[in-house]
Amino acid sequence: MSRNSPNLTSLGSINTDGSKRILHPADVHGRFTTARKWFALLLLIIYIALPWIPVNGYPAVFLDVAQRRFHLFGLTLATQDLWVFFFLITGVGFSLFYVTALFGRVWCGWTCPYTIFLEHVFRRVERWIDGDATARRKLDAAPWTASKMIRRVFKHTVFIALAALIAHIFLSYFVSLKGLYEMMHHSPRGHMIAFGTVLFLSAALYFCFSWFREQFCVILCPYGRMQSALTDDHSLIIGYDKKRGEPRGKSSNPDAGDCIDCLRCVHVCPTGIDIRNGLQLECIGCAACIDACSDVMTKLNRKPDLIRYDSDVGFKGEKTRLVRGRTILYTFMMLAGVGAFLFSASRIEPVRANALRMAGQPFYVADGQIRNQFTVRVINKRNEPRTFRLSLSGDKTGSITTTGTETPLVIPALGEEVRPLVLTMPESAYTESLRLVITVTDEASGTSTQTRPIEFTGPDKRIQSNDYLDPKQYLQQ
Amino acid sequence: MKPETSTNEPVLREHTYDGIQEYDQKLPNWWLFTLYITMVWFVIAWVGYYQFGYGTTDEQQIDAAMARMAEAREKELEKINDDSLWAMAQDPAIVEAGRATYTTTCVACHAADLSAKLGAAPLPGLPLNDPIWKYGGHPTDVMKIIRKGSPDVTKGMIAWDAALGVKRISEVVAFIMSHHKKDAPWTLAPDAPKQADPPK
Repeated sequence: MSRNSPNLTSLGSINTDGSKRILHPADVHGRFTTARKWFALLLLIIYIALPWIPVNGYPAVFLDVAQRRFHLFGLTLATQDLWVFFFLITGVGFSLFYVTALFGRVWCGWTCPYTIFLEHVFRRVERWIDGDATARRKLDAAPWTASKMIRRVFKHTVFIALAALIAHIFLSYFVSLKGLYEMMHHSPRGHMIAFGTVLFLSAALYFCFSWFREQFCVILCPYGRMQSALTDDHSLIIGYDKKRGEPRGKSSNPDAGDCIDCLRCVHVCPTGIDIRNGLQLECIGCAACIDACSDVMTKLNRKPDLIRYDSDVGFKGEKTRLVRGRTILYTFMMLAGVGAFLFSASRIEPVRANALRMAGQPFYVADGQIRNQFTVRVINKRNEPRTFRLSLSGDKTGSITTTGTETPLVIPALGEEVRPLVLTMPESAYTESLRLVITVTDEASGTSTQTRPIEFTGPDKRIQSNDYLDPKQYLQQ
Repeated sequence: MKPETSTNEPVLREHTYDGIQEYDQKLPNWWLFTLYITMVWFVIAWVGYYQFGYGTTDEQQIDAAMARMAEAREKELEKINDDSLWAMAQDPAIVEAGRATYTTTCVACHAADLSAKLGAAPLPGLPLNDPIWKYGGHPTDVMKIIRKGSPDVTKGMIAWDAALGVKRISEVVAFIMSHHKKDAPWTLAPDAPKQADPPK
């Protein structure tokens, strides 16, 4: 081998002078590769299809930032409900803990969007245009001829188009396909933020998938680092069975182990490591080396799975324990996170109402009447117009006259309305401040929502003269 | 592809730091470039922004945005006068829009029929359907009170300018004035402050 095999102390994808070594993983076939291919296809279809699937009149996932309404599979969240996302995100985060503790970095190799786009979209295009690993390496080294130039221009044109496509699909999650379609028919000047986002995203994706590639996973990605800290000796990882494989040697040598040092596992690795050195931070758990090695072993009529999914203790010949302190804790945390999300999401009310004292004085006294003015804001979070009725309850409501509740509130779908509410009470009936609650009742369903308590205030009976309350006393100076 | 060094393992540096030795390895060049980019950016930002004052501060941007809004509002207000408001009061679409705002915002004090009475009981607001006006009966007078609130802060009519905006307020004025005739006589209320315009 003219190339040195990778080692544990330096990055396989960086040359000694600091330049990036362009990796060309060889083609690989096998059960994990096939499974990954179909799984990636499924995930890609989900990514592309979600904005197209209408649920309750909105796309399945539509994070409408402009209107501050967030549609998730029929559940519509207003800005006020965004706190449930805290539980969703912690739940998802703990699920990552859980999966990683059990199965190592399966997220990276099987489901991470970066890996999906890189391995199953961009590398496939590269394979199709430039040929297999040997051909690609030869083309890299070849002088700049017209045919190489044409190929490179073609390849990068396709890359840019794919990056732009992915970026546009991403944008459609935030503006919906209809919004995207409209934007595409108008000058970018009308929607500079969306245009800039897509431009930046397209450029970033093109840079990442055409050149940067595994450097992101190896050096930048925080999840990769975090996952390395979440695995232990019982976590399922991809490893090489040293007991079976060593000492390496030719297949004709009867004293040698099963590993014939063919370096197939190194050649197929997308991050440029030698898995036989043990688990390394670069390993994204893609299982390409498993398929490559098993292929060789089968051809040699040896048992496959010299490189396989197993735990560190499994490779030592001991039994892997799935139930252990770490997994119990992570299970609990994941269930707590998911449970908290489901509970909080189910508690989201389709109506939100709050009452605030109107600007100006806290209360007005005129003609022997005490008057308090409030505004009631009602938000209809349903996807259809609703009619609401306001009513007052609380202390001594019998002596309070209410105006503003006579006519029902008709609020359009996902709209909100502010209604002034004027409460008056004879001064003689007033003794101390009253706690009141405004109930908003949906006429169609009969369900009701209450505001936080509001306070009806008036002049303090203990103070004989109210002169000091008159702002004129202070304004006339 | 660059040729690799002959040995597999990188060279260990001689110096020992509390028993720790370091490999002599290069940072990836792209990583180093990000440092150089920050250096170049530092020079551009320091010279341009801090020395020559190119670009705008956040404060200036906010001031500019506020000025733009004030200017847009001024422009909107310039178009509005007694005649234009009387004309709006004749437009059924505008009056209907004004009614919609009125029924959500004003009815609580002024009543749906503008009488400021609920049955026999008086509401806090002033009646708007009679030819007696406390602060003047020209449409612009009415508009001024809605926008800026009552000069008498003890009455509870707050300034609606920020909440409703010029367009919706002018619609409400059109709705109110649609209950009046342009040339009909009106009088000032007995408790009207002196500075209100006398009826024309």
